[in-house]
Order: sequence, then structure tokens, then C-alpha cells
Amino acid sequence: MAERWDRERVLALAPDAPSQRTALSLASGRAWPATGAAAGADAVWGECRGSAAAPYRTVVDLSGPAYRCSCPSRKFPCKHVLALLLLWSEGSVPDDAAGPPDWAGSWLVARAERASRTPSAEQAEPKDPRAAARRAEQRETRVASGLAELDRWLGDQVRQGLAASQQAGYAHWDEIAARMVDAQAPGLAERLRALASVPHSGAGWDGRLLEEYALLHLLAVAYRRQAELPPPLRATVRSRIGFSLRQADVLAGGQPIRDHWQVLARRDLEQDRIRTRRTWLRGRKTGRDALLLSFAAAGQALDDSLAVGAETDADLVFYPGAVPLRAAVLARHDDSDGAGGGASGGAPLDAGPPDGGTIAGLLGGYAAALAADPWLDSWLAVVEIIPVRGPAPAVRGADGGSLPLHPGAGDCWPLFALSGGRPVTLAGEWTPRGLWPLTAWDEAGRAVPL
Amino acid sequence: MSEWQDLVTASLIGTERAEVPAPAVPGLPVRADAVPGDPAALLLDRAALLTVARRGGTLIRPAGSGFEAEPLPAAEPDPAPAVSPAAGGRLDRMLGGEHPDLLAEWLTAAVARSRRVPPRLLPALLDRVRRVSPSDPDLRRLSAEAGGARARWLARLNPDWTFVTALTESGDDTWRLGGKSQRRGYLAALRARDPAAARELITQSWAAAGPERVMFLSVLANQGLSLADEPLLEAALDERDAEVRGWAAHLLARLPGSALGQRMARRAAGCLRIDRGVHGARLIVTPPAGCDAAMRRDGVTSRRAGGPAEMDGRTHLLHEVLARTPLRTWTGQFGRTAEQILAVPSDAWAPVLFTGWSRAAMAQRDQDWMTALVDWALAGGPTGTLFGAETLRQLARRADPARCARETTARPAAEIPLPIRDAISVLRFRYDMLKELEL
Repeated sequence: MAERWDRERVLALAPDAPSQRTALSLASGRAWPATGAAAGADAVWGECRGSAAAPYRTVVDLSGPAYRCSCPSRKFPCKHVLALLLLWSEGSVPDDAAGPPDWAGSWLVARAERASRTPSAEQAEPKDPRAAARRAEQRETRVASGLAELDRWLGDQVRQGLAASQQAGYAHWDEIAARMVDAQAPGLAERLRALASVPHSGAGWDGRLLEEYALLHLLAVAYRRQAELPPPLRATVRSRIGFSLRQADVLAGGQPIRDHWQVLARRDLEQDRIRTRRTWLRGRKTGRDALLLSFAAAGQALDDSLAVGAETDADLVFYPGAVPLRAAVLARHDDSDGAGGGASGGAPLDAGPPDGGTIAGLLGGYAAALAADPWLDSWLAVVEIIPVRGPAPAVRGADGGSLPLHPGAGDCWPLFALSGGRPVTLAGEWTPRGLWPLTAWDEAGRAVPL
Repeated sequence: MSEWQDLVTASLIGTERAEVPAPAVPGLPVRADAVPGDPAALLLDRAALLTVARRGGTLIRPAGSGFEAEPLPAAEPDPAPAVSPAAGGRLDRMLGGEHPDLLAEWLTAAVARSRRVPPRLLPALLDRVRRVSPSDPDLRRLSAEAGGARARWLARLNPDWTFVTALTESGDDTWRLGGKSQRRGYLAALRARDPAAARELITQSWAAAGPERVMFLSVLANQGLSLADEPLLEAALDERDAEVRGWAAHLLARLPGSALGQRMARRAAGCLRIDRGVHGARLIVTPPAGCDAAMRRDGVTSRRAGGPAEMDGRTHLLHEVLARTPLRTWTGQFGRTAEQILAVPSDAWAPVLFTGWSRAAMAQRDQDWMTALVDWALAGGPTGTLFGAETLRQLARRADPARCARETTARPAAEIPLPIRDAISVLRFRYDMLKELEL
């Protein structure tokens, strides 16, 4: 029998905050005249009264997890799935020894059959090193011609003038992005797709679009001349284009760095049904910053093992690059009792606030990093500041200077409420458009995600 | 700065028609030798250089630069401590959609213990209260009190939240000149501070108040209701406005020592008796014969005015009378506790007795009866009717969760009816909630 999930784990599956809210309001027995859980088959099912005459039929395969619901919602998982799992997590779904009803059972059986046919992805090791080398060579050729095409496209934009891009639809960027996907340069494709919103991002859009085009051009030139680049910078260029390293290879090949890593901030982003969690760490002894990335398809939970405000004694291995920031966890040494020795992380919560730096220190560090990696556009900020309101929300250092908050971060009211006009330690991402606030520490020294 | 703007302008027009400017980057020589032939590539090269230079060279906006934001005055320190982290976490969940109807209870309990809402949750709380407060004005006062100094500080920054300070900063002018909701806020604050002064103000203003009389009575209902309010309420029973009469009767029925309560007790006394037959005690029920003018004056509604569709006329009258009768009438008449009375078999009358007594227990805030009624329902006593389910839903939100059973032993888990499952989950939620607020 599957271990019962706690409510946090269920809520983490929600595609957005409104789904969480509606699911919570639906998670009452009144909406669910019939529910059941199969002890052996790791499945939960239920019928939910909705606006339609017939109840919605919801079934969850807990081993996936995988979901199915008869409602027309396009959210995934839908509110019914979440509500059903919430009921199950609080123990309100009775075990049903008779097994699932037919409508749930047939789907579960079909899934189980499919699963037994699909070979597991782990076995996809390259079998023939010569074939692998040939594939790698083919990819280089494709990427090279793709980048040449991109550079021509960028030249065309600037030749004809960017003024036309305000009338262009998403297709304008999707088309060139799709070509980069064909050229096996997914990093470029993602960057290009994100540009479609820039012409409608308000005053200064033209400058922001030119910045992005210029940096893409720089990347194309750098790839063309990669033989001349020092190895770390070459690694940076290749990773930004989309040559990804396998985490296992990075862990096996790199030099582990052990430290007490403070988990300072976390940001979740979603693009194309893939959710990305960016977790920022800072080493107590080394003072190094590290960025952990974890990914999940829509409907799957993101890695939740490192809570903001905690500290973990761990070996990290950094991905190669001109400014090594991205890292992976090789091993954690938090098992304080020493008896278990297992993988469970018993990190002490509430490591207390980190040492907040000055705004000048933040900008100095970013400038130095930018000199090594000109494409770097997000940098861990840990500063001692007072938030100020206006003309636009900003933060003010002890020296009287101020930095803007990122316009996309909204009003940031919780940050203001926490500060009450007094200095707070703030962690966030510094970006070219401003500081994106992520974590602040309250008077008791507890980390508060913003 | 202008060098970048020149590049942007050229890129907007396009290099087919515009010259490519040659910006000077401080510290970097202009490399005339490396100029490629394509002006578009040249513009992109220069833009890349300048982009990185500008990003790396972001300066602190120095004091007095015009960009600088005014520092905010610091919030005054709040002597009251914040609630425990567990209580804060639960409030966070409630604001996220879990049992939002219990928000008022959370806030009331926090205010009673002189504890504050954690500052980080204030924006979400104030937003929610602003949205729902037209239908629940008492939430404004509660959130302002539980928010303390930090909420008042925030309210000065965001015009959406001015209700927080409007409550505390209003003077006598608010009463004379303010709109209805401001006057209500003023009266509620006065009632909380000095119940007698609020009553005096209502008495003075009554004649000229017109449609605001209902608002006056709703303020009385929320705080400090006592027998001292009885003369005012008894007089209101003869008002022309049916809504005012209804409120007055409702409030008098909440006061067990009121004359209305005694009149009801006389009407009710003949309706129930305990018969000790050979098969043990039974409750024998005789509903009132009819509804006279005196009963109508005391708020008893006739059949047509609503009520559960499944009751016939006389059953409905019994239900109305029971709901307004002081509960000590029964403990006195039978010489038994609430629990013992409910244990006497009442056969088919059980659902009516359950809803009638529950309404009385909730109105009179009688925890002994509420506890006994919840326990009776969770043990499967009064068999389920739609109306009974709604009554249990309300009881589970008002009874003291520490005293009630919070589980049912009546039958296996899979067969528990939904209303009982819901009541149990609400009682457990409130039990944990109140315990966390003690921490």
C-alpha cells in the first residue's frame, strides 16, 4: 500500500494557485457522495457532484501519479483530482475491499498493461560508442547551421527595423524557435519563444528586444569561434545553446565541494507544461552560491527536499562554466543520529537569517560575474534593505541608494508587511530588470517565502 | 545613456535606412580595425557590448538622484506578540481557501488572547476582508484588531485597506456625518468599548433612524448583549417594520432571562412531557394548537413564512417555539441534564426536537446543550433529514470542539453519512485551530 501523502505534497501538484483554492473548497465530503481507495492497487477514485447532471468521475493512479477525470477542465491535474487527493490525504477516503468500480478499474488496468510494455528509460545507455560519436558529430553540424541561420535572421530584424515587431504575432518568434528545435539547440528555442512578449512589455520594450537580439548574436558568434575560447567559457556557450550534460556525468566527473549550504530562496517557473524549480544555496564556509534546478512535467510534484530557511551539510558538484553556479547534490550528510545512514534528509530547519550584504556589494559581484559570462541574467542577491514604495516598489540600502524591484513581481505587499519600514534581510534574484524578491527573514529570524 | 538610445533608435528604423552609431564604452577603445562589412552585424556587435557594459555598470540610484524613493516611516512597535507559527500556518491555509467561513472565529480567538496576525499574512487577510466585508462587516473590526499596529501601518500605504484606520480614527463627526458603513463601524467600536454608551446612543437616535434600525440591532447582536438591552428590544417588538420586529424577537430569545423567554417557556411547557411507561421513559410530544397574535408578536412565524418543507403546520409551530424557549425550562421541568433528556427516546419527533433545540442552544450560546446535541447527532441519534444536516453543519461551527466527541463510533468508516463526516472534520479543524492559538 502506498504511503499516504501529506497535504503539502498534494497541493504541490496544483498547476496554479486558483486550482489550489478551488480544490480546497471542493475537498469536503459533501461534494463527494462516493469515494474509495484500493489498498493493494495504489489507486483512489471518487464521484464528485458538479454543475453537470452526471457526477464527474475521478481516478488517480498513485504509483505514477497519473490522473483521469471526466470533467471538461483543461487544467492538469484538475480541481477534482486535487480535491480527491486532499480527502484521501486526511484519511476521509475509505478503503474499498471490493475494488474499484468498472469505470475506474478499466482505466487502471489499461495503464498497468501499458506500463509493463514500455521498457524503462534507464536502460537507454549508448550501446555503440562509434554510433554515439557519429550522432554527436551530426548534432554539431546541425547546431552550426542552425546558429548561422539564426544570425542571419537577427541581422534581418535589425536591417528591416524592430519597429515592425510590435505588429508581429507570436508566430514570428515561434517560427524561428521551431527551427532551433530542429537544429537541436533547445536553449535558443526557449529564449526566442520568451521574446514574443517583449514588444508588449511596456515602455523600453525596444531597448529590451535589442538587448536580447544582441546577446543571441553574441552567442552565435561565440559558438562559431568556440575553438578560440577558454574551456569554461566554451562550456557556458554550449550550455546556453542547449547542449545539456547528464547530471550523472557531472556528478561523476566534477570535484565535490562540501559545505553547510543555506537554502536561501526558491522560484518556480512554468513553460510549455514543464515546471522548473530554481533553488538558490549559499555555502557557509566557502561563501559560494549554487543554483539547483529541478524539473517536473505538469501534474508531477517538484523536488521538495530542500526547504527554504533550512541548511544542509552536503557535497555539491558544479556544472562547468565561466561562472559555475548550477550545481547538483552528490551526497547529504545531515543524518544527525548517524544510525540510519540512509538518504533521508534530517536537515535542521530555520538556520536563521544569512548575513545580508550591501547593494554595492551585490552589484559589484554581479558585474564581476558578467565579465566572465555576459549572458548571465539572474544572480543571487542577499541584501539588508528597507522596501520603499514609490514611484515604483524598490529597496533601499543603509547607504541611502536604492534598486528597483522587478516589475513582474507585483506589489510585493508581504515584503512591506514584514518590514514595517524597518531593515530586513532579503534574498532574491537580481536581474537586468530589477530585483525579484523571494525570501525575507522575520523578526524571529524565520525564513518567510514571499 | 544617450549612446544606447542612439543604437536603439537605429535598430527601430533599421540599418537599411539608418546609420549605425559608434558608441563609446568607457574604458574600451573603439576598434576600427574589426569592423565587419554588414552594418546589421555591426549594430548587433555594438549593442551586445553596450548591453553587457550597461548591465555590469548598473549604479545604485544615489540619494537625491530623483529616482530615489522616499523612506517610509517605521511602524510603531506592537506590544502584543504574534500567534504561534502553527496558528499562522493554519491562517495561511484558511486564506488559501480551507474553511474560510471559520476566519471570524480564528480572529476572535486571537483578539481574545491579545495575539497578532503574523505580518506576512496581513496583505492576504486585508484583501480577503475587503472583498467579503460588505456581507460581513464585523470582519473589518476583527481584522483591524488582530492586525494591530502593523495593519494600521499597511493601511496607510494601500488605499484598498483604509477601513483598518477608518475604524480607529473616527470621531463623533463620523456618527453625525458618516455613511451607513462608517456609522456602523463607529457604533460597533463604541459597543465593544462601552456597551451602555452604545445602547444610550441607539435609544437617542432611534426615532430618527428609519431604515438604520436594523443596523442598530445587528450591532447589538454582535457584542455585549445583556438584559439591560431588554426594554429597547421589547419596545421594538411593536415596530411596523417586520425586519426590525424579527431582529428584536431573535435577540430577546437569546436572553434566557427575558420576558419573551418566559412567555415562550409557558407556551412550550405543555408540549413536552416524560412518560414513565412499562417499557421505560418516553418523551411524549404535543405540538401547539395554533399561532395567536401574541405568538406572532414574539417572532413565531406561521407555516407560510418558510421553514423546512417536510414539516406540517403544527410540527413547524413546535419547532418555532422550541427554538425560542430558554433551555433551562427543560432541565428544570424534567430534573435531568441536557444529555439525559436527549437520551430519552422520542421516536419520530427526534428530528424536530434536534433542530428546535439546536437553534435554541446556538442562539443562547449554551455549550452544555450544544455539546450534548453534537454528541447525539454523531452517535446517529436524530435520523437524517436535509434540515437536520444543515443544523448539524451549523452546530459543528459553534459548539466547543474541546468538549464534543470528534469521532463517531456508530458504524464502520465507509458507511458514515456525509453530514456526520463533515461535522467531524470541522470539529477537528476547530479543535486544532484553537489549541494552536493557545501556544
